[in-house]
Amino acid sequence: MADNGLWSNTDAQSEIIDAPLNCNIWLEGIAGSGKSSVGVARVLHLLGRGVPAESILIFVPQRALAQPYITALRRHTAHRGGQVSVQTIGSLSLQMVETFWFLIAGRAGFKHPNDLPNFLSLELVQYFMTRAIEPLVDERDYFNSVRIDRPRLYSQIVDNMNKAALVGFPISEIGTRLKSALASGVEEAHIFDDAQTCAIAFRKYCLERNMLDFSLQLEIFREHVWAEPSARRYLRGRYRHVIVDGVEEDNPASHGLLRDLLESCDSALIIYDRDAGFRRFLGADPDSARRLRDRCDLKKTFDETFVMGAEVKTLGAELAAQLDLSVPLKCDADPRPALITEAHRYHPEMVDWVARQVDMLVRERDVSPNDIVILAPFLSDALRFGLTDGLSQRGIPIRSHRPSRALRDEPAARTLLTLARLAHPHWRMAPTDFDIVFALMTAIKDLDLVRAKLLTEMLHRNGQLLPFAEVRSTAMQERVTFDLGERYDRLAAWINRYIDDNRVDAIDIFFRRLFGGLLARAGFGFHDDVDAGNTAQNLVDSARGFRWSLDFMSRYDEKIDLGLDYVKMVDRGVIANFYLRDWIADVEEGVLIAPAYTFLLNNRPVDYQFWLNIGSEGWSRRLYQPLTHPYVLSRGWSPGAVWTEDDEQHLSRETLGRLLLALTRRCRKAIYLGYSELSESGYEQRGLLLETIQSMLRRHARVEQHV
Amino acid sequence: MSLSADFAFTQGSLQDYADCSRRFELRFIKRMRYPALEVQEPLQFEKRTRQGARFHKLVQQHLLGVPAEALTASLVDDEELARWWANYLARGLIDLPVQRHSEITLQTHLAGRRLLAKYDLLALEPGGAAVIVDWKTGARLPAHATLRGRMQTIVYRYVLAGAGAHLYAGEAIPPERIRMDYVYVAQGGERLSFEYSAAQMREDEALLSGMIAAIDRAEVFPLTDDVRRCRYCSYRSLCDRGEAGRLEDFDLDEYEDEDEQEAFALDFDQIAEIEF
Repeated sequence: MADNGLWSNTDAQSEIIDAPLNCNIWLEGIAGSGKSSVGVARVLHLLGRGVPAESILIFVPQRALAQPYITALRRHTAHRGGQVSVQTIGSLSLQMVETFWFLIAGRAGFKHPNDLPNFLSLELVQYFMTRAIEPLVDERDYFNSVRIDRPRLYSQIVDNMNKAALVGFPISEIGTRLKSALASGVEEAHIFDDAQTCAIAFRKYCLERNMLDFSLQLEIFREHVWAEPSARRYLRGRYRHVIVDGVEEDNPASHGLLRDLLESCDSALIIYDRDAGFRRFLGADPDSARRLRDRCDLKKTFDETFVMGAEVKTLGAELAAQLDLSVPLKCDADPRPALITEAHRYHPEMVDWVARQVDMLVRERDVSPNDIVILAPFLSDALRFGLTDGLSQRGIPIRSHRPSRALRDEPAARTLLTLARLAHPHWRMAPTDFDIVFALMTAIKDLDLVRAKLLTEMLHRNGQLLPFAEVRSTAMQERVTFDLGERYDRLAAWINRYIDDNRVDAIDIFFRRLFGGLLARAGFGFHDDVDAGNTAQNLVDSARGFRWSLDFMSRYDEKIDLGLDYVKMVDRGVIANFYLRDWIADVEEGVLIAPAYTFLLNNRPVDYQFWLNIGSEGWSRRLYQPLTHPYVLSRGWSPGAVWTEDDEQHLSRETLGRLLLALTRRCRKAIYLGYSELSESGYEQRGLLLETIQSMLRRHARVEQHV
Repeated sequence: MSLSADFAFTQGSLQDYADCSRRFELRFIKRMRYPALEVQEPLQFEKRTRQGARFHKLVQQHLLGVPAEALTASLVDDEELARWWANYLARGLIDLPVQRHSEITLQTHLAGRRLLAKYDLLALEPGGAAVIVDWKTGARLPAHATLRGRMQTIVYRYVLAGAGAHLYAGEAIPPERIRMDYVYVAQGGERLSFEYSAAQMREDEALLSGMIAAIDRAEVFPLTDDVRRCRYCSYRSLCDRGEAGRLEDFDLDEYEDEDEQEAFALDFDQIAEIEF
């Protein structure tokens, strides 16, 4: 063992950390074997040897995987100098395209090469996709046999385009690939033709307006920026030392860039997690990643876990073996003590059992809440609420991570949107009484549901809020109270004055004016409320991004009513669907409640895991996505091959096997299985995970009987 | 609630503390985001700050090798920006050492904390001058004495002296070789320069470490008594300190939107749940 001042390293780790500064290293192994610790220590070693921080690039498939590096660098108190760069393919390509835009825009086919580029966020891609192709879809009756809502349908077209860019084939091949592999009839062939036409129409729309969605940004980076000598010189000159972590979760576009950087850099460390590649739906390609191995001088493997106990280790290997995944196992511990379960008939009983078990671990066994995760394939509102409520009642801190929760569903955002409708009667989108009750209750501090309902019934008339003085009954006024009535009056007056002044602020400015001018003041609901401030800021950011993009586009197209269109798109679920900032700020402490893959991609081992809804098909099945396919649109897919039901079955088993291996490799002590005969929706559940666990347990029981 | 263990101080956060310790607490300890308006004319304000950001980007592109003509061609719809750009091309880089690093961040340590400075441009010549250039796009030229007392002037020179050795052939940069130039491109490229010295560095170190120690010790963060400082503060309504000020009275060059976070583009983290 060697000591670097932060932790002790094994000899194998030290050999890599202390390797010469002109050496490319390939490090592969299982999760929990100390690979990322080596990556972190290597960065600190480089800095200690006098390598300029600016010349070090940490490259990861998503920023969560860079967190150990960022934390270590922030705590590295001895460092004086520049800053290490942390990049993903998305961030790096955006910076490079933006910087070298005026050198490449013309030859890349943009219609206005002397104008600035407009990089679209995911929600703006959805919005412009809707604008660009909806007329086409309506006019030609596209996708008429597909029974999913339009936003989800368009997101699959976007997904196809992203995969084409990440894998490296032209978007014009999307339809052909999908048709030859998946279309079993004329109807399906039409759907894929429609998806192809829409992708091309959207690409044309973007090129004509200097707009770049992720797929175009990546394509421009790969085809034009990387081919530009000054850009290539800059990137190769800047990054002399490259550390890549989670390369198996990255895509062929990233691997291509890394292959080129490996030719020119002084040193590299590439970390590959065996049996992973979970982000396949985002183009992750472990086989493509593995080809980088040949470009390395030193190749090392770590297969000893620093995380799992013997029972958990055997459990992972046996579950994987049940699913036909072969994993070498050097010990023969009985895995059953690592599995704790109790069968329930109904779902709420299972949720309650989970809360009680977590409580027992924290209180009786002194387990830190940070060392417990509760995982499910999907995290519905009901499940999240049940768990949050059960744990909160027991005083256990939680942190919940559900990245796709809609911003528009947050109380502060709903309130701002409702008040925006009231303040813009010309939109002809008056809110419902229900929305007004909710908005009043959120906006006015201490106003309860009953009084909010009374105020709404008495004073809301055709989209207008009347003054409190219009309540004629003294008894009713006293019931509401004059204090709350006065605050209601200030809110109503603020909105009515805005209408009377005939003011039409940009919608984000309206939100900010209302926030600072009223709702965040003493006596109102957002005052001194960190959550409300964050949500309001998220909504402002979303609305401002929308305005900037449409302002930008107005030089090429007709002007539209920004505020009205924004609110309409929010209603349709196209806009304000994601939290970006809160993901970044997710540093709280507590029991983590998250979808299983979210936990994996955060890559932090824990003592105890709870796997909920183990009867659910969601543990192994892909979502229904009729317009896209992660395998058919991957680099490894053979043109002309057909995707069969056998392939689907095989994929389910393999996916689940890898998932279970990955989860157990991030678990030190035991796994609690949450099972109820009936699902949340009241159906019986017999998914592949349940079947796999039962088979394993039956096998052990049989062996015992024979003994 | 206290400052997180790995918090990094910057000139912006220290200036916030110097202006109003309550603002520092809200922004950096409570991390309260607060989208109230800074000025009465938000759209004009936004236009000016975006123009400033665009100018900085243009300079960075130029210094990374994009030809000036290509950049000039992109400015036909913004006369003001084109004027700033012309002033930069004419006077911005005159008499600067040839080794140039644009948009570079350096860090040093003081009183057990990291101290960061993000430079628009560092121009150095090992053994010779080390010039910090900061582009200013505001409409007014401040008094020399005012600028000398700004945390930016104090922090930038101090950090370069402590953390710039790797850019200076591995040798610590002698404070006497350091100069900070504020270049006012809206004022014809007028330059306000501040030399440095070992004595000034000692003085700055005492001031900065004193501030950092005071922040680390503090249990209460009182609101400033000077209500003029609240006019352009977005927390104004939280503190019940009146209405937003007019843009015409605001010095835009004092407005810094700093963030230590690396800029990450969207990499689809948000859809992890729905599409595996």
